[in-house]
Amino acid sequence: MDEPVFKLAHVSQQFGALTALSDLTLTIDLGERVALIGPSGAGKSTFLSLLNGTLMPSTGRVEVLGCDLSRLGPRKKRWVQRQVGTVYQQHHLVTNLTVVHNVNAGQLGRWSLAKAAWSLLWPQNIELAAQALAQVGMAEKLYARTDRLSGGEQQRVALARVLVQQPAAILADEPIASIDPARSHELMALLRDLTELAGKTLVVSLHDIEFAFQYCTRLLGLRQGALQFDLPPAQVTESMIDDLYHLAPNYPAPSL
Amino acid sequence: MSSSHAAITKLFAWPSWVNRRSFWVVMVWVAISTSLYTASATGTALINWNGLGQFGEFWLASLNPDLSPEFLAIIGRATLVTFAYAVCGTTLSVGLGFIGGVLAAETWWRTVFPPSAKGSWLGPLMWRWVRVLLAFPRAIHELIWGLFFLSILGLDPVVAVVAIAIPFSAIVAKVFSEILDETPQEPLNALLNSGAAPATAWLYGLLPQALPNLLSYASYRFECSLRSAAVLGVIGAGGLGYEILLSLQSLRYSQLWTGFYALILLNGTVDLWSAWMRRRLGFTSRLDLHTPAEVRKKSNALNPALHRSQDWLLRLSWGLIALVTPLCYWRLNIGWERLWSPRTHRLLADILTASRPVWPTLEGFQALLHLSGLTLAMSILAMALAGLGGILLSFPAAQTFLLPAGCLSIGGTKGAVRARSLFWGSRWILLVSRAIPAPIWALVFLFVLFPGVWPGALALAIHNLGILGRLMAEVNENLDERPVRSLQALGASPGQIILYSVLPQNLGRFLTYIFYRWEVCIRETVMVGLVGAAGLGRLLTEQLSSFDYSGLAITLGCFILLTLCVDWVSQQIRKTQAEF
Amino acid sequence: MKLFIQRATVLGSLVLSLTACAGQQTTPESGGELNNAEAPSLAVGAIPDQDPEKIQRLSDKLTAYLESELEVSVEYRPVTDYAAAVTAFKVGDLDLVWFGGLTGVQARLQVEGAEAIAQRDIDEQFTSVFIANVNSGLQPFTDISGLKALKNKTLTFGSESSTSGRLMPQYFMQKTGLTLDDVKGKVGFSGNHDATIKLVEAGTFEVGALNSQVWDSRLEEGAVDQSKVSVVWRTSPYYDYHWVVSPAVEERYGAGFTQKLQTALTGLDASVPAEKELLELFGAAKFIPTENQNYAQIEEIGRQIGKIK
Repeated sequence: MDEPVFKLAHVSQQFGALTALSDLTLTIDLGERVALIGPSGAGKSTFLSLLNGTLMPSTGRVEVLGCDLSRLGPRKKRWVQRQVGTVYQQHHLVTNLTVVHNVNAGQLGRWSLAKAAWSLLWPQNIELAAQALAQVGMAEKLYARTDRLSGGEQQRVALARVLVQQPAAILADEPIASIDPARSHELMALLRDLTELAGKTLVVSLHDIEFAFQYCTRLLGLRQGALQFDLPPAQVTESMIDDLYHLAPNYPAPSL
Repeated sequence: MSSSHAAITKLFAWPSWVNRRSFWVVMVWVAISTSLYTASATGTALINWNGLGQFGEFWLASLNPDLSPEFLAIIGRATLVTFAYAVCGTTLSVGLGFIGGVLAAETWWRTVFPPSAKGSWLGPLMWRWVRVLLAFPRAIHELIWGLFFLSILGLDPVVAVVAIAIPFSAIVAKVFSEILDETPQEPLNALLNSGAAPATAWLYGLLPQALPNLLSYASYRFECSLRSAAVLGVIGAGGLGYEILLSLQSLRYSQLWTGFYALILLNGTVDLWSAWMRRRLGFTSRLDLHTPAEVRKKSNALNPALHRSQDWLLRLSWGLIALVTPLCYWRLNIGWERLWSPRTHRLLADILTASRPVWPTLEGFQALLHLSGLTLAMSILAMALAGLGGILLSFPAAQTFLLPAGCLSIGGTKGAVRARSLFWGSRWILLVSRAIPAPIWALVFLFVLFPGVWPGALALAIHNLGILGRLMAEVNENLDERPVRSLQALGASPGQIILYSVLPQNLGRFLTYIFYRWEVCIRETVMVGLVGAAGLGRLLTEQLSSFDYSGLAITLGCFILLTLCVDWVSQQIRKTQAEF
Repeated sequence: MKLFIQRATVLGSLVLSLTACAGQQTTPESGGELNNAEAPSLAVGAIPDQDPEKIQRLSDKLTAYLESELEVSVEYRPVTDYAAAVTAFKVGDLDLVWFGGLTGVQARLQVEGAEAIAQRDIDEQFTSVFIANVNSGLQPFTDISGLKALKNKTLTFGSESSTSGRLMPQYFMQKTGLTLDDVKGKVGFSGNHDATIKLVEAGTFEVGALNSQVWDSRLEEGAVDQSKVSVVWRTSPYYDYHWVVSPAVEERYGAGFTQKLQTALTGLDASVPAEKELLELFGAAKFIPTENQNYAQIEEIGRQIGKIK
């Protein structure tokens, strides 16, 4: 596929009087691993929401796989959205269902309503779900109740859900915000390996820039909604990072 | 900039106690005192001491119910029939109410017409439409629905089943939609963003989370259906309501009491069983009405009790439900084919033509306004009394309060005995109050009160007190005990604990229940209109017995308007509670 | 579009499953144009002022008697509400009903060709009584003009559509120029004759109007505290309760069936023990033939008072 996975042209996002993103223009290609860094409130989450179609830009164009989401009908839009999987910080799983249903939720885009309903009684396509769980190292938990898993395990289930979705790009919003350093490395390595192996794109927002340098191929520095730099890790200097965080007296210091 | 400016103006322009909340507090007091004035405006004495004999006669008969085998056989059969109607009415109204609840949920319309997509304005519009549409079936009492369906479907069990199902499914739809909207939305949004279709995304992302709450409310609905099924007996459904009305026709008190005991037994059993089911499902509240503020605080974590759902007793219960439900449908022999028979179409066309409203003259309009005022006054007095009484009785009736090991327990053997008798005593009062239908209460009060608004208001108050007190006791049982325990450790008395810890935590929920019930109460004024009480109910029964369909259409319109108003006011007040 | 189809599928499947589980049982018994199976039962409704046990016995006996006399199957349908009984008669689900004077007229007006066929001996000369609490200060009177004394007293009727407990008493009051606005407060509707007695006895209302047959039998039973309540006036006689039959029976069971019914009802014989009990349950010595014309006065009064539109 020659087309970029994401293409943003003069994108701005307003929330009432507040400007969350202003005049962003960039493209993200297949196989890239992009880290979004910047202080709280810089617009990282807004950026991700634009990529998966939760938000439509106030001005400008966002193209996903060459399609402008704001111009698509609901069916076509859903088809494009299936190509983008998102891992959330709070997992957003249905905790009173078993793991297999939560993982299968990633396949819903390809299932008819009847099949989806039947699957709740008689789980369908288990091989795919089991395979995804094996990839995240949780093969034995297929029929466990989700609310009986630890936070880290739940995060892996959320990741497995994205894997069965088989998207072209994976978005991750602060995936390591609430887990300890050792597990953070484990998860980031997993994300890197899973995307690298399948040639997928990864866009991840990180508050801890050390991880960004270690696991990503491209860093986007955002501050107050504006793009400060867009460079490979090797070209990002310490002073750039200082500028990104320290010049804003209103924001707390980064956890470096 | 402008918003902060507005905030500052708001801050400085008014003293802090002038806000929406104090406005509504004042409005509630004004409403209650106006109602008091209206009710006492007749200028006659209130209490009729000479009627104490008849009053006592009614109560004495409670010690001496008719237990002859023939009569017990009749009552036993009638109890089964009432039970069967309640089962059919509940299952149907929960099924239809679920569909309505999805369509009345803001979340559904946001899913179908996402705010960021084209045509997003359609969502809120459709949502509002459905909400208004649902007010129509709710505003009209089951008995009136029953008479309406009787005139188009004829004499058949289907009439009573549909008469329960129509208003109840609208109520279920309203509550279900609130539960669905208050269920955490993130899993749903996550699925939608990954390209799942709306219905599938709901099936996996929202419904499983909401299910225990929906089931819990459905079991409460069963208790309500039981009470309605008893009332509908008079229009050909048979059952306890029919036998009780026959005994009432000739004032055979001892037979009446046999019927009441059957109702009490039925209500009590269902109450115990459904409370047990809910506990096993991990949801202790039968009607989980939240204020929006509470929902924000509520975590997504589920009660650990849920893990015991493998319980074999629970499975047995599900098995029984699966077995008994079709049995009830079979037993009643419901003539569903009447719903689409050509005769029904013809009769429906007839009644719709006959009920084309003739607009009232100015005088007629004034009379309607006056009667609506009386109905409103009656319902406000009833709810004020029921609310107050319910709150008072909810403390001794809560399992976790006065009983040994409860948070207000006094200790000692003597204390324990007293606490136990208070507990069972208050539970009994609540059970009897809600099991005996409101019209019976009205007649009983008519012995000792002079006619007017009061007998009806008191009858509705007592009946609703039984329902509210039970709901409130449950709120008390679900209370966060930590603040109570800490006050107890300080050596505070039970009264002080209630004032400083229990009421501040629970009052919001209590008020939500009272306002929820108020709407039901408006509809129930029809029932006490039958026994010489005042208001729109009186007019309605007169019009019913004169087959004055065009007049009926107008009167029912008044009920619908009143319901919409009450709905709006309670929504406003719930919003105000959310601000604090 | 697909979305709407999907939604329709959900709704459709739910509705289908609901109706499917229900549709299996259909009623073979109900009459009218609903089914065309072999002749359906004759549906009878009768709600005299009796308690459940007696109604139970009455329904069994009545069904058995009519079945043996008419040689068709008979089904007793319990309806206690008079408005409901009129409606059921109108839509054709009740064929033969024991109505009060007013409700009988209301029912016949809604079903063209319906006929009044029989009434009790006492219904030809039926009366109402006005009763008063001793504290009301009202004294018994013999002339109708005595009713004027009801001005500014509180008054209760029985049920809205009762002939003896509401329609005729109101008519006699109107004859003396007394309207419902002339009494004190709002007129009460106790719901039934016995409640009227109790409420006047209690003093909740000063005056009550009811069926004299119920009053006499309660006096006989000793169920009335005569130191508190007594009769002040007995009305002049009028026609009341009667059996009304729907014209549908002639279509269903052949011409002359109405005549057969009339003969069966008037043929109840007090000298036969089983039939005597049935008559007693209706509070009658025998049934006599009657005709629509007998209730013209009731109809006229009903229209005057607004109970017939």
